[in-house]
Amino acid sequence: MKQALEIASAVRDGSVSAAWIVEDCLAGLAKGPALNAVTRILADRARHEARQVDAVVAAGRDPGPLAGVPYGVKDLFDVAGLPTTAGSSIYAEAPPARHDAEAIERLRNAGAILVATLNMDEFAYGFATINARHGTTRNPHDTDRLAGGSSGGSAAIVSAGLLPFSLGSDTNGSIRVPASLTGIYGLKPTHGGLPMAGVFALAESLDDIGPFGLSVADLRCVWEVLSGTAIAAKAGREFRVARLGGRFAENASPEQLAAMTAIAPDAPIVDLPDIARARSAAFLITAYEGGALHREALARDAMAFDPATRDRLIAGALLPQPLYQAAQAFRQHLTSAITHLIADYDVMLAPATPCVAPLIEDPRILIDGALRPARADLGIHTQPISFTGLPSLAVPLRRPGRLPLGLQLIGRHGDEATLFAYAATLEERGLIGVSPPPGGLQREAA
Amino acid sequence: MIGANKLLRSWDPFLTLLIIVVGAASLFPVQGTAAAWTKTIAVFAITLLFFLHGAKLSRAAIVQGAGHWRLHILTLGSTYVLFPAVGLALVALVGGWSNPLLLSGLLYLSLLPSTVQSSIAFTAIARGNVAAAVCSASLSNLIGIFLTPLLVAVFMHVDGKDAAASWNSVTSIALQLLAPFLAGHLLRPVIGGFIDRHKAILQPVDRGSILLVVYSAFSAAVVGGIWTKISGADLLELVGLSAVMLAVIMGANVLIARLAGLSRDDAIVLLFCGSKKSLVSGVPMAGALFPPSQVGVIVLPLMIFHQLQLFVCAVLASRFRREADARDAADSPASVLSLPRTEREIAVTARARGLAVPDACMPGVVANLALLDSHAGILLGRAGS
Repeated sequence: MKQALEIASAVRDGSVSAAWIVEDCLAGLAKGPALNAVTRILADRARHEARQVDAVVAAGRDPGPLAGVPYGVKDLFDVAGLPTTAGSSIYAEAPPARHDAEAIERLRNAGAILVATLNMDEFAYGFATINARHGTTRNPHDTDRLAGGSSGGSAAIVSAGLLPFSLGSDTNGSIRVPASLTGIYGLKPTHGGLPMAGVFALAESLDDIGPFGLSVADLRCVWEVLSGTAIAAKAGREFRVARLGGRFAENASPEQLAAMTAIAPDAPIVDLPDIARARSAAFLITAYEGGALHREALARDAMAFDPATRDRLIAGALLPQPLYQAAQAFRQHLTSAITHLIADYDVMLAPATPCVAPLIEDPRILIDGALRPARADLGIHTQPISFTGLPSLAVPLRRPGRLPLGLQLIGRHGDEATLFAYAATLEERGLIGVSPPPGGLQREAA
Repeated sequence: MIGANKLLRSWDPFLTLLIIVVGAASLFPVQGTAAAWTKTIAVFAITLLFFLHGAKLSRAAIVQGAGHWRLHILTLGSTYVLFPAVGLALVALVGGWSNPLLLSGLLYLSLLPSTVQSSIAFTAIARGNVAAAVCSASLSNLIGIFLTPLLVAVFMHVDGKDAAASWNSVTSIALQLLAPFLAGHLLRPVIGGFIDRHKAILQPVDRGSILLVVYSAFSAAVVGGIWTKISGADLLELVGLSAVMLAVIMGANVLIARLAGLSRDDAIVLLFCGSKKSLVSGVPMAGALFPPSQVGVIVLPLMIFHQLQLFVCAVLASRFRREADARDAADSPASVLSLPRTEREIAVTARARGLAVPDACMPGVVANLALLDSHAGILLGRAGS
């Protein structure tokens, strides 16, 4: 038993109790591999929620589509009674949140059980999950390698099979990058499509939250719960697919390009305009908004920040406002142009990361023939997509025994349903899917 | 080398398919009963194509951009008045010593509607008014369904008939285009959702129909001895005449935009939407409007003009963008957009914002501002992006 819907089905029909699922899950987290993926285990809360689910099942009422399914959230969601740290020691002693984030509340109403908060780059500023307070999150497929970030804990814990799904946040690729490097599914929704109340911001005009999971069906169910939307089933649907060329093809692994050809050999190759500028503008917007958000705290005690994010945030706080305004104006212009240009396609294929997970000892990657810091550049293919607000589903290529690599399925604004439907066909064709890490999925083994 | 690279990058892969089909028709022309069948299938494909085009056309896109009515009138004027006038003038000018068959094709292309997809794409690259381009190009296509057959009836003698006979034949043939187009468009409220969900079938129908018409047309033309009537010199002359036509139209549109006082963003729409001709509409229309033996020769100039316009527009669009970037950068005083780079500049800027940069952070802040400055350079067009 490993996938969310399988667990929910068993809990709903009474063949297993939510309490048992939670104990099994907590035991797995306690004895699982040392990934530095978890920041807090919420055992008491999880047991309490499990009892509530079991009581609903016993009473013959509907416990919800995610009944008894344990999950974790990136350490930037408000959890009632706990300080929201955003992965930083600065807020370790902050006043506790009075309410759960809205996303957590919706998942609780659907029967899901929160068991842990998960590691991240401090303030979600990075693609590596190298955190001074909690350590570097390790990749379950090779613990000498990064899991990616900034939602690295959320990705690693699902990839290891210790939780069936989790929530992360994505400003420039922080869901899709770790999903690709750890070989699981991750969704960045249409900008503003999922509830952001109670989520610690990085760059508010670009931030979104989204789920990680082990199958398309799981991810779709979590998205339906979070968005409050039900996707109608449509059989035998055809998809008009394009492959993104230009910058996306220049820094992709040959295996990703081969996979895109195998998936849609006849799909036209589309060059979106101004991709390099989009990425640069996204960089500047993130730096400016991040710097502005933390300016007061930096003024109080800059040295309390994680060394890995401190200098970046200070630099962002020094950016001129007209430059930020120019970046936002360009964003508006490009989004309008790209929306028209892609109107004839249902799905566009692109690499999710430029390469497999880099080594923790040498966290650099090759971009345009030069070695660049992974922390800043792993999002080269995700950043321009977030910039336009389009939904993007990171899917794992099926490659057992090898380090994971993912693709992005990019859709039109508000059309996540098509992405799920298309991904399901690729999953059926055996082209994408989760390949377990060495030793298998932990909960599967348990 | 730059020209060759630009040409390669702007090369339309579909044109390669068209050349292959023309080659195939030249080597293996379909004849006799098979030719009649091919023609029938081509007519059916054209009908289906125009039905689907009607169903796909969004009136909402036209309504949304309709505010710029002066721009749309100028664009339509360029497509349906200026272009035909230049076409007629060129034909009259070189009529005595050029191949009349190819001149008919040149005149025909001057009567066609504008392109939709590439007009929008080039306007976007040039940082022009994209919403107006969507409206202008869509409107041009909608009107072309009615207007192009009428203009063909007025200015071209089809199949050697006199103007009146030609008028009758063209109006009846126009119905073959109009009827399915209108049927598709009127049924959009009912089938629009289905069409949008099954857009995957539209492109093969588009391209398949065009390839079928071209194969059928060139087969008939080859049987009629097209390659004995058209020489390599004729084709070179055609490239030259197409270039002249494009240059005159583009020059006129630049002048008109200035005289009309259009903003830069709108002038780009006029230049790109008003100077283009649609291969996707032109080839099937020719299949319906002209006798099979003439279609091959009629669409040959269009195929050459199509590639020429893509190449010129690609070069112009990137040049306009560079100019816009440079202007944006120039409009903002350097001090307003420039980043602090030296330790002293950083300390001064930080102080002004109530920050003190600790010594331990300074090297990292300098490095990060250098990185952000390079991104600012790419955004503002100061660096090679």
